[in-house]
Amino acid sequence: MTSATLPAVAGPSSKDPAFRPGRLLLYLVLSVGAVLMITPFVWMVLTAFKSNAEIAQFGWLPGELRWRNFVEAMQTAPFLRYFRNSLIIAVGETVFTLAVCTTAGYALAKLPLRGSKMLLNYFIVLLLVPFQIILVPLFLIVKSIPLFGGNNILGQGGIGWLNSWWGLIIPLGAAPLFTFLARQFYVSVPNELAQAARVDGLGEFGIFWRIMTPLIKPALITIAVFQIEAAWNGFLWPLMITTSDSMRPLQLGLAIFSQNPAEIEWPYLMAGTALATLPMIVLFVFAQKRFVEGMANVGIKG
Amino acid sequence: MSTTLERPALESPRTVAPGKDSRTLVKSQVRAGWALLAPALLHSGIFIVIPVIAVLVLSLTDYSFGDTWAWVGFSNYTDLFRDVDFHASLWHTVLYAIVVIPISMAIALAIAIGLNQKIRGLGFFRTAFYIPTVTATVAVATIWLWIYNPGSGLANGFLSLFGFAPNRWLADPATALPSLMVVGIWQGLGTKVIIYLAALQGVSRDLLESAQLDGANRWQRFVNVTWPAIGPVQFFVLITSIVGTFQVFDLVYVMTQGGPGSETRVLVMDIYQNAFQDLKLGYASAETVIMMVVIAVFILVGRLLQKADVND
Repeated sequence: MTSATLPAVAGPSSKDPAFRPGRLLLYLVLSVGAVLMITPFVWMVLTAFKSNAEIAQFGWLPGELRWRNFVEAMQTAPFLRYFRNSLIIAVGETVFTLAVCTTAGYALAKLPLRGSKMLLNYFIVLLLVPFQIILVPLFLIVKSIPLFGGNNILGQGGIGWLNSWWGLIIPLGAAPLFTFLARQFYVSVPNELAQAARVDGLGEFGIFWRIMTPLIKPALITIAVFQIEAAWNGFLWPLMITTSDSMRPLQLGLAIFSQNPAEIEWPYLMAGTALATLPMIVLFVFAQKRFVEGMANVGIKG
Repeated sequence: MSTTLERPALESPRTVAPGKDSRTLVKSQVRAGWALLAPALLHSGIFIVIPVIAVLVLSLTDYSFGDTWAWVGFSNYTDLFRDVDFHASLWHTVLYAIVVIPISMAIALAIAIGLNQKIRGLGFFRTAFYIPTVTATVAVATIWLWIYNPGSGLANGFLSLFGFAPNRWLADPATALPSLMVVGIWQGLGTKVIIYLAALQGVSRDLLESAQLDGANRWQRFVNVTWPAIGPVQFFVLITSIVGTFQVFDLVYVMTQGGPGSETRVLVMDIYQNAFQDLKLGYASAETVIMMVVIAVFILVGRLLQKADVND
């Protein structure tokens, strides 16, 4: 994966000796930076293997690798259930987001809608509204979704989408950022392809789905990675709208672990945190190249 | 791309023959456009626009989840002016933003420039800098809680290497907020580095080379070619940073719960407590409106700074 980013390496450093000390310094600085970024994680993983006695004082390496910490951590809290819940939320939100944001992005970029410039600005302005700002009314809206959770048609009398997968998945999916991002990519696909398909008699939805969308894979991957991460790491929203353990995601499980400072089981907490983090790191390592291409398009093209 | 000659025939007997009636064709495009756009419009309307309007309305009431409520005019706002907790959280949030945004943007740009020098192991560095970002804030907070642990944490272990006395970090009112800022900067670097890196790779090679031929040195090339070229991206990073720093909550919630005292109390935490623990929804909404105004001011200042920069 990294090989593709490397081909030009031979370049100036070997030709120009004056560059050498500078290069060395560059590598040194970057390496120190990378170490600073990674150290807390190494620390976390090492701590996960330690015994309670060992963590009482400062030290790096555990005396022995206590794999059973992981097993015991998973037994003390219903980790597997938290894990499953996070997975459901992440997959659900990602599918929902991809469906809503690619269609909207395509319409904004390629179809002759009256006022499409205005509509684009509408999404850009919404992109600036932080989720925390609308926390309170969002809660009320989710609580009064009609005909769910015992609500009548006017949205009263029940709990609506509170304590439901709907409530966990739908409101935070399809962020305007992703509509914007998808649109930026569709804009750069040449119109001729769509025209040719039109001449061949393919319908508009067919053009969107079969011709244009397969061409913006980097965007799809970027949106998917972002959305999976956001869903996986979500904390405040699940905290607000769920009351039962049966739907709570991983992050809430971890927070509950550290809620009582007097009796935190550090090794268990670290083991749980490591297990929670690993899937996201793996995801990024595999997606990073496409992901970077995706990010490149957000800011650059008007 | 993969259209074969057979497929269209299967797909759409209803479609107008090519070129025959372009107005019908445009009409069907417009219809498809609105159909494709409708879900996003509906979703954003229900879950963003209505809530924003609702915040404005609720802030003028004393609503508290009950059946009865009354208009109270601007009294929520006047109460806020006397609320010590609100003052503290507003001040801490603004301070946090003012410190974290420029420092993390500067560091991220520097790292991205370094990574853009055609170095070996780009994939490794990219992943290393991004790791804090992909990790849930709760996990990040937990690790740093352990690092700042006054007894056996990494931070004091590090200080002791140089013979410094141990610090109490998060437990000390003087160092609590700065300690959180360090974590905020550290955690936010990854995304910014990646965006900057992508932008730097998009800077025109031709322009850079012709500047070099004209005798511009590295610094001049950076100031005159690279810096203007990444302007739009700077703005994107700035906006997302502003929005991001004002959202700080999980970090504080897990690491300090706003303490010691209320030394690290931040806006979202105050809003959360007023709304969901004290059930003062109208009051919390007024607080939210003020937060919106502050964010708008920050974005405005950002725009002005950028404009001034371009005019130079």
